[in-house]
Amino acid sequence: MLSMKNINKVFKTDLVETHALRDFNLEVKEGEFVAVTGPSGSGKTTFLNIAGLLEGFTNGDYFLDGVNISNLSDNKSAAIRNEKIGFIFQGFNLIPDLNLAENVEVPLRYRGFSRSERDKRVKQALEQVGLGARMKHLPAQLSGGQQQRVAIARALAGEPRFLLADEPTGNLDSMMARQVMELLEDINKAGTTIIMVTHDPELARRAQRNIQIVDGQVCDFTMYQGGQPQLVSDNVQAVS
Amino acid sequence: MLQIKPILSMLLRSKSSPLLLLLQIILSVAIVANASFIIHERLALMDRDSGVVEQEVFDFTMYSFDPSVDLVQQQHKDLQLIRDLPGVKSATFSSMTPLSGGGWSSSFTIGTSEEDERSAPNSAMYYGDEQMVDTLGVKLIEGRNLRPEEILPTFTDSGVKGIVSKAFADQAFPDESAVGKVIYNGNLGEEAIEIIGVVERLQGAWVNSDNLEYSVIIGVELTNAFMRYLVRAEEGTFTRLKEQIPEVLHKDQKNRVIQNFTTLTEHRTSVYRDHELMASVLSLMVVLLLLITSLGLTGMVMFNIERRTKQIGTRRALGATKRDVVSLFLVENYIICLVGGVVGGLLAIALGQQLMQHYDLPQLEWQYPLATIVGLVIVTTLAVVFPATKAAKISPAIATRSV
Amino acid sequence: MFFYYLDLACRSIKKTPFLSVLMVLAISIGIGITITTLNIYKMASVNPAGERSDKLFAVQLWSQGEDSWDEFNPQITYQDSFNLRRGDIPVRQTPMFRTGGAIQTDNPDLAPILEGVRVTDSDFFSLFSVPFLYGQAWDKSVDQQAKYEVVINADLNQQLFGGENSVGRTLYINRKPYKVVGVVDHWSPKPKYYDVNNGAFNDSEQVFVPFSLTPIEEYQSWGNNQGWKHEDTRTVAAKIVSEQHWLQYWVELKDQHDVELYTAWVRSYIEQQQAPGRFNSPNADVQIMDVADWLIENQVVAEDNKVLVGLSALFLVVCLVNMLGLLLAKFLKRAPEVGVRRAIGASRAQIFSQHMVEVGLIGFCGGIIGLLWAWGALSLLAAKFELEQALTSLDMSMWLVAPTIAISAALVAGIYPAWRVCSTNPSIYLKSQ
Repeated sequence: MLSMKNINKVFKTDLVETHALRDFNLEVKEGEFVAVTGPSGSGKTTFLNIAGLLEGFTNGDYFLDGVNISNLSDNKSAAIRNEKIGFIFQGFNLIPDLNLAENVEVPLRYRGFSRSERDKRVKQALEQVGLGARMKHLPAQLSGGQQQRVAIARALAGEPRFLLADEPTGNLDSMMARQVMELLEDINKAGTTIIMVTHDPELARRAQRNIQIVDGQVCDFTMYQGGQPQLVSDNVQAVS
Repeated sequence: MLQIKPILSMLLRSKSSPLLLLLQIILSVAIVANASFIIHERLALMDRDSGVVEQEVFDFTMYSFDPSVDLVQQQHKDLQLIRDLPGVKSATFSSMTPLSGGGWSSSFTIGTSEEDERSAPNSAMYYGDEQMVDTLGVKLIEGRNLRPEEILPTFTDSGVKGIVSKAFADQAFPDESAVGKVIYNGNLGEEAIEIIGVVERLQGAWVNSDNLEYSVIIGVELTNAFMRYLVRAEEGTFTRLKEQIPEVLHKDQKNRVIQNFTTLTEHRTSVYRDHELMASVLSLMVVLLLLITSLGLTGMVMFNIERRTKQIGTRRALGATKRDVVSLFLVENYIICLVGGVVGGLLAIALGQQLMQHYDLPQLEWQYPLATIVGLVIVTTLAVVFPATKAAKISPAIATRSV
Repeated sequence: MFFYYLDLACRSIKKTPFLSVLMVLAISIGIGITITTLNIYKMASVNPAGERSDKLFAVQLWSQGEDSWDEFNPQITYQDSFNLRRGDIPVRQTPMFRTGGAIQTDNPDLAPILEGVRVTDSDFFSLFSVPFLYGQAWDKSVDQQAKYEVVINADLNQQLFGGENSVGRTLYINRKPYKVVGVVDHWSPKPKYYDVNNGAFNDSEQVFVPFSLTPIEEYQSWGNNQGWKHEDTRTVAAKIVSEQHWLQYWVELKDQHDVELYTAWVRSYIEQQQAPGRFNSPNADVQIMDVADWLIENQVVAEDNKVLVGLSALFLVVCLVNMLGLLLAKFLKRAPEVGVRRAIGASRAQIFSQHMVEVGLIGFCGGIIGLLWAWGALSLLAAKFELEQALTSLDMSMWLVAPTIAISAALVAGIYPAWRVCSTNPSIYLKSQ
């Protein structure tokens, strides 16, 4: 499903070169629920941006669902984001001027669905997250948890194969966080692959597999617990 | 306390928006400087004194279409009838009206023999009688007025007397008195006019001509089918007289069309209309341009402030006073104004030179770009102070608040 | 997708009313000023001869002696125009000048009206495509055998005869009776290209009489009379044989070949005239100009107009720079939303289009409001300066020109901001709000 081999990402400024990712390797299989943890600045967000085709990488190979991502045009990568990937952000990132239905509709618009198809999918997605009755509300009228559920509905509306979540519960209290987490688990059970970046070890533990990124490389979680972090260059094993 | 260097480097780093402001200011200075120069030039043209008591003088035309009428006799009668009307101070027939845009002109010949023969400047020719000087209200500064018996029925080679404007006299006879001199309305020796007086000032009909100030009053009668009359009357009598004159004249002889009663004030308005139009449109442009520039500037500064809210909060937290914040934005503005002003001023001069080359416009004077820059500094200060004062109110707490 | 963008644009404009109003104001004022000056310019420079412009030629002769005028005079002498009439190369040709007279009818209640009168040949009407309401021009034979016949314009026909078919009726010019043979259907080309001496934007004459009557009736010229030497021209009889320039002369030539033939013919005429001592300047020649060149040569468009159009174009540029800045501010403020859209699957091109549609909409509003400004400004100018109607009526084409300029100008101003917003990396706006 997702395969990254020897991915490097280097930020260059006049003075310094920063290696955000260094020979980064990762394989994610269809239907997996992967939690990514790691300290601030370790490269989690860079990884997620590259995985989500929001950013390019310096070198390496990246295949998503069999498609080579290395040299995609902007139009192609936009299309892949639109069809195959759903995003969920810590800050929800709903568009404040659009009501819930219109927010959920945005990706469908870019995919060029007909009006009836859009209406159907918007309704379905909002019902799935339990907000079917509030289609005309504006995001500001909702609680944080509800907003995040709208964001999930927006991600789901396009029926993506693959969901990327960046600290999806970071701005929520524990009660709401649990609800959102349960929703994600349901989605995963229905067959969508999920990669979730989180700080919260509680949440991470609920995922099928945990990955830790340290200094731009994947690090085996259990070994890190033991003492000196040991770098694993390939075939990271899932930890349940 | 006001460090210009860091502000400058900040401006240099944030590329586009200061650059856009700069561009706008450069163009504004170039346009406003040239426009206000043209405005000033046109207003100065319109401000010139014609030498005539314009508020009391009007003219009208008469077209006699009855060939059996003795035009000479009729004219004498007509003038008497007009002069007898209450309110009329004086009246004369005339070949033309000052500031009317139409009339007669000629380049007179001066000299005594073929060796020193030369041309006088092309000047307006006012054929009229002894009342011409009084009717126009021009001031005789040398010599004397025409006498009734000196008005000849036709132009002859000798005996015609005339009065010239001072500008004409100075040009034609630079170092001596013009009175007693002779000018010829034709080749040397033909249609001589003896100058008997000089008036301080009398403009011709064509306000865009370089020869506007050159005029000659000629004591010769004009008796054509199509005639023009000049009347000087007490102020406020024009509306009554323009009804009364045709009435009185038609009663005497009905086969003529009497019309086109126009005051000299109306002539002035109409002859300077293009200049006034130009000045008005340009003034409008200048005002709107300054308005747009200042509104645009306000918008940009507001945006800059929103973008730098956190930075301003940090500065406040680090001890900057409200005044420091306002002056930060003001200094930023003045740097842009200064650079824009200098470049714009140069551009204005270049534009002015282009205009001068291609069109009949004089060279732009340096005061205009300078005044424009000063104006812009004032306008932009106002445009900056309002949002900057708002910015200064930003609480230092903003800086410490994270996401 | 376009309507989706349009919907988004409307929301965006509504959301930032101050900024939007500012932008619409900026562009509308720019457009208003530009259209105002452009309209005056266009109306002044319109070529009224239309497609016949390159068939109609004004004839000028360098008949002045040495050491006098150093250019062709726009008019020619009576004797030359009389002789040129004998030429048979032009399809049509006519000398003419403006005079005037008191017009009366048999109706004693009608006060005499002073009118401008054009003295010309019968060819005048077909040459300048003058439309007739009733009757027609006088017969061609009248051009040789003078007859007291007259063609009048519809306005005068209304005044004198209540607008009915007046062909065959009599009117009096300076108490001489003339038979009406035709009524012209409201003809008044602007600019009045056939005679630019007497105010290029004045109305056409209301009365037309045969040129052949000139020596008989001794019509006074009501136009420019320019002489280059001192000679007696006080009577019409003297003027007719003088060197004074006071007539306009127009010919219709069917093609370039005829233009050359005609030029050669006039040159040979000039040579003939040199024998008795006329045309003695080394520059003696003929110059023929079609209508377009003629209008330029006579500076029908005042220089002030050109300066104004130039300055207002610069003004528009300032408005655009202003708008560019405001758009940049507005769009960059919206970058986080764009980040979301990009993440969700909008391509750069789609984001770019979305913003260009918004800019276009602003431009369109600005264009429409600008037109209103222009209309207001023109009405104001017309009222305040009593400008000719021909110059201040808003040309129909401006309804198309104004929005086009406005939208394209706005799009030009929008390219950079739209590009900036669509090319920024979306990820930086997604992490935190």
